[in-house]
Formats: sequence, C-alpha cells, structure tokens
Amino acid sequence: MNLAAAAFAAALLAAAAAAVTAGMPERRPVVAAGTRGGRRSVAATSAVDRRRSAARSAADRRRSAAGASSSGRWRAVVAGGFGAVSGLAAVVAGVAAMAGQTWSLDLPGVLPLAGVRLVADPLGGLFVAVTGAVAVAVAVYGIGYPAHRPVRAAVPLFVASMLLVPVAASVGTFLVCWELMALASLLLVVADHRRRPAVAEAGRWYAVMTHLGLVAILIGLVLFAAHAPSDSFAALRSAAGELSPAVRGLVFVATLAGFASKAGIVPLHAWLPRAHPEAPSHVSALMSAAMVNLGVYGILRVGFDLLGVGTGWWWLLVLGAGALSAVYGILQAVVSTDLKRLLGYSTTENLGLVLVGVGAGGMFAVAGNHLLAGLALVAALLHVVNHAAFKTLLFLSAGSVLRATGTRDLDRLGGLRARLPATTGMFALGALAASALPPGNAFVSEWLLLQGLIHGLPVSGVATAITMPVAVAVVALTAGLAVATFVKAFGVGFLARPRSEEAERAAESPPSMIAGMAVAGLACVGLAVAPAAVLPGLARAAGVADRSAGEPVAGAVTLRLTAVAGSLSPLLLVIALAAAVAAVLAGLRLAGAGLARRRARLWDCGAGPLSPRMEYTATSFAEPLQRIFDDVLQPELDVDVTHARESAYLVESVEFRRRVPDRIERRLYEPVLAAVQAWGRAGRGLATGSVHRYLGYGFSALTALLIVLAVTR
Amino acid sequence: MRLWRKIRRTGRVAEPAPPRAAHDRPLAPELRGSVQLRHVDAGSCNGCEIEISSAFGPVYDAERYGARLTASPRHADALLVTGPVTRNMAVPLRRTYDAVPEPKLVVAVGDCARNCGVFAGAYGVVGAVADVLPVSLEVPGCPPHPEAIVAALRELTDR
Repeated sequence: MNLAAAAFAAALLAAAAAAVTAGMPERRPVVAAGTRGGRRSVAATSAVDRRRSAARSAADRRRSAAGASSSGRWRAVVAGGFGAVSGLAAVVAGVAAMAGQTWSLDLPGVLPLAGVRLVADPLGGLFVAVTGAVAVAVAVYGIGYPAHRPVRAAVPLFVASMLLVPVAASVGTFLVCWELMALASLLLVVADHRRRPAVAEAGRWYAVMTHLGLVAILIGLVLFAAHAPSDSFAALRSAAGELSPAVRGLVFVATLAGFASKAGIVPLHAWLPRAHPEAPSHVSALMSAAMVNLGVYGILRVGFDLLGVGTGWWWLLVLGAGALSAVYGILQAVVSTDLKRLLGYSTTENLGLVLVGVGAGGMFAVAGNHLLAGLALVAALLHVVNHAAFKTLLFLSAGSVLRATGTRDLDRLGGLRARLPATTGMFALGALAASALPPGNAFVSEWLLLQGLIHGLPVSGVATAITMPVAVAVVALTAGLAVATFVKAFGVGFLARPRSEEAERAAESPPSMIAGMAVAGLACVGLAVAPAAVLPGLARAAGVADRSAGEPVAGAVTLRLTAVAGSLSPLLLVIALAAAVAAVLAGLRLAGAGLARRRARLWDCGAGPLSPRMEYTATSFAEPLQRIFDDVLQPELDVDVTHARESAYLVESVEFRRRVPDRIERRLYEPVLAAVQAWGRAGRGLATGSVHRYLGYGFSALTALLIVLAVTR
Repeated sequence: MRLWRKIRRTGRVAEPAPPRAAHDRPLAPELRGSVQLRHVDAGSCNGCEIEISSAFGPVYDAERYGARLTASPRHADALLVTGPVTRNMAVPLRRTYDAVPEPKLVVAVGDCARNCGVFAGAYGVVGAVADVLPVSLEVPGCPPHPEAIVAALRELTDR
C-alpha cells in the first residue's frame, strides 16, 4: 500500500470520525442541538430527544443551535479538527496521485453484483486534492458557524462521498458514489426548510434536477457498459473503439447532460442559483467549489478518457454550452441583489469558462494538435482549481456576513468595513481573485485559456475558424462583466454606510470562521503568485484525458508556453503592480506635500446630512448594465399607481417593482412544468376510486396485450 | 446626419465680440483666461436664470471668453449668485461658498442679489448677497441684459 492510498484511507476514516463526533446524540437536554432537522437526517435521533425538543422553548433552541454550551462547542472543535485532518489527508492523497503514485483497490464483496472498484490516477487525484483543500477550509470554518447537529454530521459524509467519486473506477461504484453525493448535499440544502419556505422549494428543484441528471448519466453509462465485457472503466476504455458512432454519440450526449446539470451549465442550471444560496454557507462553499467540479470531471473522464476523444461536434457542443453559460451566468450575477445568489450565478459563469477550455481542448485534440489541446485542458483545470479557491473564500465570507446581519440582500447591507474588518478583507481578496484582473489568480487561468483560443485559429477546420474568435469574445465580455459584478458586490455590500439596522448592528465572526476564510485566502494568494507549482500536476492530469498532450506550460517564475509563443510571469506582475501603486501613492503624497490644505465639509449639495438612502444600491449600480442588456435579460417592471378618491389627477401612492427573472427558466422550464401538471390533472380523471373501473382497466390491458402477442407472434 | 446639415445650414449665430473694456488691474490675476462658475439660486424669481442661460447660449456665447458653468462648487472658481438670500438658502449658500477652493470670487447677478430689489424687507429674506458673502462683482438690472452678464464675466476672465 503506497502513500496515496494510505492518505486516502486516512481521509475517509477521519471524515467518518468527524461525522460520528458531530452526530452523537447529546446527554444534556439543553444542548441537544437542532433536533428539529434531526428527524429528517440519517443521524439517528432518539424518541426521548424528540420529546424533549418539543418541550424546549425557542430561545433554548436558538442557543443550542449556535453551539452556546461548552460541551457542544468542544464537540464542534473536535469534529472540525477531524474534518480538517480528513481534508489534509485527501490533499496529500490527491497530490500523491497527481505525482504518479497510482493505486487501485478491488472490493468485490462490498456491493452486491458489481462490487467496488477504486483507481486513483492523476485526473482523479486532482479532483480529490481540490475537494480536500476546500474541505479543510470548510471544516475549520464550520467550528464557529451556527449549524444544527445533523448539518455538522452530514458535512463530513458529503465530503467523503465527493472524495470517492473521482476514484470510482466502475460504472456501479461511480453511480453509487454519485448518488451518495447527491443525497448528502440534498440533506444539507434542506437543513433550514422549516424556517424558510424558499429552502423547501430550492430542495425540491435540486432533488428533481439532480435525479434527472443521475438518470441521464445512468442511461449513458449503462448503454456504454452493455457493449463492454464488464462495467469497470478499464473494460469500457478498451471497448470504446468498437462502438458504433451513433452509440458513442448517444453515450456522450446523455452523460454530458447529466454532468452539465451537476456543473450548473445553462440551460440545466435552474437548481444552482436556488440551492446554493439556501444551503448553510459552508455547505454552499462545498457545493460551489467542490461538487460542481465533479461535473467537469465526469465530462473529462467519459468524453476524453473512456470514449477516446470522439468527434468534433461533441466538443463544439461542450464549448457552445460553456460559452452560453459564461455569458448568461455573469449577466444574471451582475443584476442580482442577493449576495449568495450572485455567487451562485458566478459559479455557472466560471464553470462555463472551464467548459470553453474543455471544448476547445477536445476540438484541438480531434484536429490532431495535441500541444494546443493540452494547453486548453491545463487552462481549464487551472481555472477549476482557481475557482475552487476563490469561490470557497467568497461563500465563506458571505456566510460570515449572513451570520452577522441575518440578510443576504445587498440593498440592505453596506458599511461592513468598520464592523467586520476581517470578513471585508477576505471578501475583497476573493472579489479581486474572481474578477480576473492581474493580481488575482483567475487572471492566470483566463490568460492561458485566451492564449489557447487565440492560437487555435491556425488549426484547420471551418468550425474552429468560426468558434475560436467567438469564444475569445465571450471570455473577454465575461471578464469585463465579472469586474462589474464584484465591484458591485464589494462596494455596495461592504463599503459606504449601513443601509439597515441589521447591518449597523453587525459584529465580527468568531476566530475559527476567520481562520477558515484565511485558509482559502492563502490558497488564492499562493495560486496567484506561484501557479507554476500546480501546473506540472495539472499537465499530468490533462495527460490522462488526452494521452499525447505533453507539458504545455514550462518555467517556475515565468510561465512559458511550449506550444505557441507567449510567456507570463505572475509573481513579477504582482510585484510590479504593487510597486507601481506604491510609487503613485508616494508621488501624490510628495506632490501634495508643499500645498496648503484646508479642512472642508463633505459636499452634500449644501443641504442636510447625507443619509444611507442616498447611496448607490446594488439595483441602481446594475441599472445601466441592465438597460444595455435589456433584450437579453428582459426585466419585468410593474408600476402601480393608486389615485386619491376625490380625483384621478391626484396620486395617493406609487408602487414600483422590478425583478429580473431567469429567462431560460421562464421559457424552458415553466411550459414543461405546466404540461406535466396538466397531464397529472388529466390522469386524475382515470382514477375515480371505482373498483369496477380498475378491474375493467386490468381486463382491457390484458386483452390488448394478448391480441398484440397473438398478432406479432 | 440631420444635425450635421442643420449645423451647416445655420452657420454661425454668435454676435461679434464687442471690444474689451479697459481695466487698471484684473480682479483675480490667478483666474485669468479661464473661470469655472457655479450658479446658485438663492431665492430668485428665475428672471436672472433665463438671462444667464441666454448669456451662455449660442448668440452671446460667454464660453468664448473663457467662462464656463460647472456642476459642482468643488470644480468652481467663482459663484454666480442670483436673487435675494432667503432664509432657507442662507446656510446652503454659505456651505457652497465654503466648498469652493481658494482663490474664489462671488458675482451677484441682478438687482435682487445686489440690494434685495422688490423683495427688500420681506419676511423670508435674510438680505442681499453681500450681507452673507464677500461680493467682488455686481451686475445691475432686473433682470440684467445678457450683454451685461457677459461684460461682467469678461472682467473676471480678463479676455
């Protein structure tokens, strides 16, 4: 047993220990945290507990939910420690697998019929490492985050299931792990369903979408496995060559639909901006930074590794869906006023960019240009890693804001810089990273992606010649809108004056939450200044996908592209930028030193004091952009004028409402939902409750079947 | 394109510049050549505003002498105050004056701004502009002719 396998086993054991520690029922009645949700969870809650919870007052419940008792706090610390150890072990296991320490495990007795097969290769190792790193930050953060006991117990289970998905090496194992992951995350999404009806709705959307996705993957993989001697991935890989093109295409499209819905790709994204905001914030971080990545993993594993690259239209489809999601996601994010919904749409955008890279890599690989394919794939994988780092940071700091103020509405936040200094700093770092500007880490991956797309033009083919410039434009537009989005989120949410009492009363989060954010922040800084540290591992992971990819990027400080001319030095860029800012500030200070200064009142148009109502809100900041993209977003305006009773010329009150609905949801989902509902209502007419009628149905069905058999045989 | 044709057909409507008035010394040598103005209505009947806007219109074109209206006192060199100073506007007027960076001037435009005009002694009037701020230049008239306003502005810009 080598290091990677040992570390992986340690990660699973530590996750189990964390779940058991957090899930143990309490002895003392006051500290039995959150038995309300417990009835729904896997963690068993005794009948005694339930009776006690019914008798307990609401104040007690709130106190115990916040972990106010000392024993509850200690358990949270121990569970968080186990969770962090599990994440660290997973990082070690993933990095070892990426470094070439592959292992495999065959446990035929664990699952009936299929058995369990686990194989760790560099591609799976990358996703194990990313999930583990997110889990470390989340576990540390979770110690102080107010959550119920079932949530604390289910988080390690969710992490463990996400660690198992990338190492699953047979269709049966993969589907079981995938479903385990979906169920664990569903449990976490609906944690708050009693308190807010929106949570229950989000949970329903998520449950339906994720299971439809599972069905699509199931159909694809089972169809694939039917043409192979066994259901192990090795057997599928060798059988892929003999499949007919139609079957290969069908397998790819079915699995793509399932994996894209998990990755939140348009038009299968509808669950994501609902479920991610409604889950507890550290769970949102896990879902948005780790779980959606597994959709990308699935596409890479099935499309590249198992099916062998396939044909051009597959990857054109992937690239098109990615480009659409990138633009649509960021457009919805820029007009969103809910902080966590904004981050959820930003996930759709970033995963869209990743799929642009994956699609471009596939197209290059089909055209036979493996160096460029490697470059595009490495750019996509680096963006996965970067996105995981900054989205963890952003969701964790949004959770800190939510804990302190109780609201996610940007129009009611503001003025948090003085009240939550650490959270503000962390969110600023995350926003900088997410807006793809030079000192941030997303810049490096988007630069690599753009290099791949721009240099892809000489690759022959009409599709490439048309797609690549469009993709470049999409990436550029997305980067610009992302800057506007995060300027809005940071400027309106954290700066200026508080817009509501909740924001005014906000208090900084406990140190464990800040430490969790700091872990993610360090990862962001590290990836921004030294992306070269992870690039060889990414190149090896891309090598699993496209076996003749080679190493597309070389160099330690300066990244040099081997396939095409181009180099970038993130560290020197950061240093130069910092030096330039310092020089400008020093220059201004020097230039202003000799001039006379006068203290003057802040200019408020000569009138009374400025009030928070005069500030820019998230809605007003995004208004020009909403106006520009009016045709795409189609906002709904609603003006209600109430006239005075005496005369229609006198106005008593005016009510103005504006919302930007998800247009794809309106056009695509609502008709389907309405049709299903109509079908159900029509079906109700068949079942009247009359036994005679049911016997009649049975008789006529049997007769019809017999007639059909008699005619066809 | 229609705008372009209109511009070509109309041609130049600005009246020829009258000769420069002779001064012994400019009011503010630092502001010579270019003066940014912030207009404050301290309680005017809007007669003076109409004349000011026509002084900055195409016919009198005060901008060719280097005077320009700005939107904020922070960008201004001088205030253009019209009307008698009413009680409600006394504090905002003083604050506006405080917001203008040094060196700064105040121009009182119209009879009301100079000596309260017909509103002298009214219950809502604090006094003339000179009672609230140090005035450096006055433009008489009720309302003053655009030519008079332009002449006063030329005195500021010294052009």
